[in-house]
Amino acid sequence: MSALLEVKNLSTYFYTQDGVVKAVENVSYEVARGESIALVGESGCGKTVSALSILRLIPEPQGKIVSGQIMFDGADLLKLSKKAIRQIRGAKISMVFQESMTSLNPVLTIGSQITEMLELHRRMKRRDAFEEAIRLLTLVGIPQAKHCAKDYPHHLSGGMRQRVMIAMAISCEPQLIIADEPTTAVDVTIQTQLLEMIRDITNKLGTALILITHNLGIVARYAQRVYVMYASRIVEHGPSQAIYHDPRHPYTVGLLASVPRLDEPVKTRLISIEGQPPDLIFPLLGCSFYPRCSHATPKCEEGKQEMVEIAPGHYVSCWRACNG
Amino acid sequence: MGDVVEKETLIEIKNLRMYFPVISGLFLQKKVAEVKAVDDISFSICKGETLGLVGESGCGKTTVGKCILQLYRPTSGHILFEGKDLCHLSNKELRPLRRSLQVIFQDPYESLDPRFTAADIIGEPLKIHGIARGQAYWDRITEVLDIVGLASYMANRYPHEFSGGQRQRLGIARALSLRPSFIVCDEPISALDVSIQAQIINLLDDLQKEFNITYLFISHDLSVVRHISDRIAVMYLGKLVEVAVQDELCKSPLHPYTQALLAAVPIPDPTVEAQRSVIVLRGEVPSPISPPSGCVFHPRCYKAFEPCLTIVPKLEDVSDGHYVACHLYSS
Repeated sequence: MSALLEVKNLSTYFYTQDGVVKAVENVSYEVARGESIALVGESGCGKTVSALSILRLIPEPQGKIVSGQIMFDGADLLKLSKKAIRQIRGAKISMVFQESMTSLNPVLTIGSQITEMLELHRRMKRRDAFEEAIRLLTLVGIPQAKHCAKDYPHHLSGGMRQRVMIAMAISCEPQLIIADEPTTAVDVTIQTQLLEMIRDITNKLGTALILITHNLGIVARYAQRVYVMYASRIVEHGPSQAIYHDPRHPYTVGLLASVPRLDEPVKTRLISIEGQPPDLIFPLLGCSFYPRCSHATPKCEEGKQEMVEIAPGHYVSCWRACNG
Repeated sequence: MGDVVEKETLIEIKNLRMYFPVISGLFLQKKVAEVKAVDDISFSICKGETLGLVGESGCGKTTVGKCILQLYRPTSGHILFEGKDLCHLSNKELRPLRRSLQVIFQDPYESLDPRFTAADIIGEPLKIHGIARGQAYWDRITEVLDIVGLASYMANRYPHEFSGGQRQRLGIARALSLRPSFIVCDEPISALDVSIQAQIINLLDDLQKEFNITYLFISHDLSVVRHISDRIAVMYLGKLVEVAVQDELCKSPLHPYTQALLAAVPIPDPTVEAQRSVIVLRGEVPSPISPPSGCVFHPRCYKAFEPCLTIVPKLEDVSDGHYVACHLYSS
């Protein structure tokens, strides 16, 4: 499997009045062609920022990618000119955002927002582009697509808007789709509709998928490999079977134990991870999880543990897991 | 769970309806339609029980909670609490009862006044109801903070100085300060992170055991509702479609909507997920302004047959406390 996208040692910082927020710190991951991976973590752990960094959508000057490499199809995205990255955004790598209401343009019709992309990236004539837009809207399951194309975003429900976002994301048949919490704002039955559709489409087009979510259930259903992020770093990654059945990092273990499962007998108490995630302005010297970790040793406080492969394809950065 | 049936009823809701008018026109305002947010639902909650109320957004679950608390005055119906019908009491008569009926809101970022300190937030109900003054007032605030796991030195902090989980603890403290017997928990954990959610669920669990509080737990997350509830009621478009003891509802759901809802909840286990069948419902929830005829679920139902289009199914007891409103099971 050759990697389609390879993020190497990416660090993205935000410069605020209170100090430097190290939102993403030394993060590496890769996606093979046609593969679905998931980035899991709690809010503020840097999963969205790491994805925005891929498309260089970090707002400057307050945010900056300070180091790293993002290899996509043999080219380093971080070294491309602004013009060149625009050729990639939407065309080769597209994104589905969480908030469809704020990421669609409220003063343009749905149809014109999709045709704009087709005209720009696929050099289609306006009329052909409009026909194609209607085909795409039908493909994502919008009834009466012709009518819908003339509507504005506020005419549609949340689920419908998210479908429009997906239609836009696939319009140029990209090689990679980044879906950032695509279903957090919609209901569970709509969530199933959308995710099943994303899976069908990516399978058909052979598109790779980066699914960013905090929902461990969705990850289990739709991702082949999982990266667990905590406090701006990746703490564990591997095939989803390994992560779910043999989690090694105490954070992953805690996360999996803290969600009630429908298929298990009701437990009297949930196992919770006590405490709060750390402040990213003042990162800890050692493992960022040690203040909340029940297995913490003095060693954890002293320095960061490197990622170690403990089973084929299963990496973890935990002193205890790596040293028995 | 046969013992639940024999327990004393705390709140009984009978034929509750809450319609909101849709007004049109700027000067000559006219009612052009009605949103049937809650349409003829009846259920009861026993003392010390947790009733989970699940459904998708817009199905009326929050409206039910607000009707019970009389934050909305229902269009029609009865809500019996301690032998009194809350719907027919004046605001003045309601006030002493409000001490026993409290609420925890979804968003701890918006439901707490940013200009109040934690002490003000917890103490305001004490002042309004004239319960404690002076030293007793401060003692109660410290006590409540301690119960929810916040330190007493935090009393003078403002909401923005707390993290999300702590803020929700503060919201719980506010609800607790008057020693209520009933709390409506309206999506209390949806705005929180996964690792914090478990802390709050455990806290709610502990409080119930310690103070014998009855909960109406409103949520869209079935796995959480199943964990915390004794019985679960499923709502769809303003109507109750199924009510049953939690394990029974999750193991043998009867209503097609409940079945789809359960299938839609992914299980955090790739092996289990690979074997599960997914029920993908057609379309979206229709508008409550013009709900479908007959069974409101029929346009999306994969088992709909003729009577569903015209006849409204009644919520019937099919087996020992398992209620379902579906023509598939009506005799």
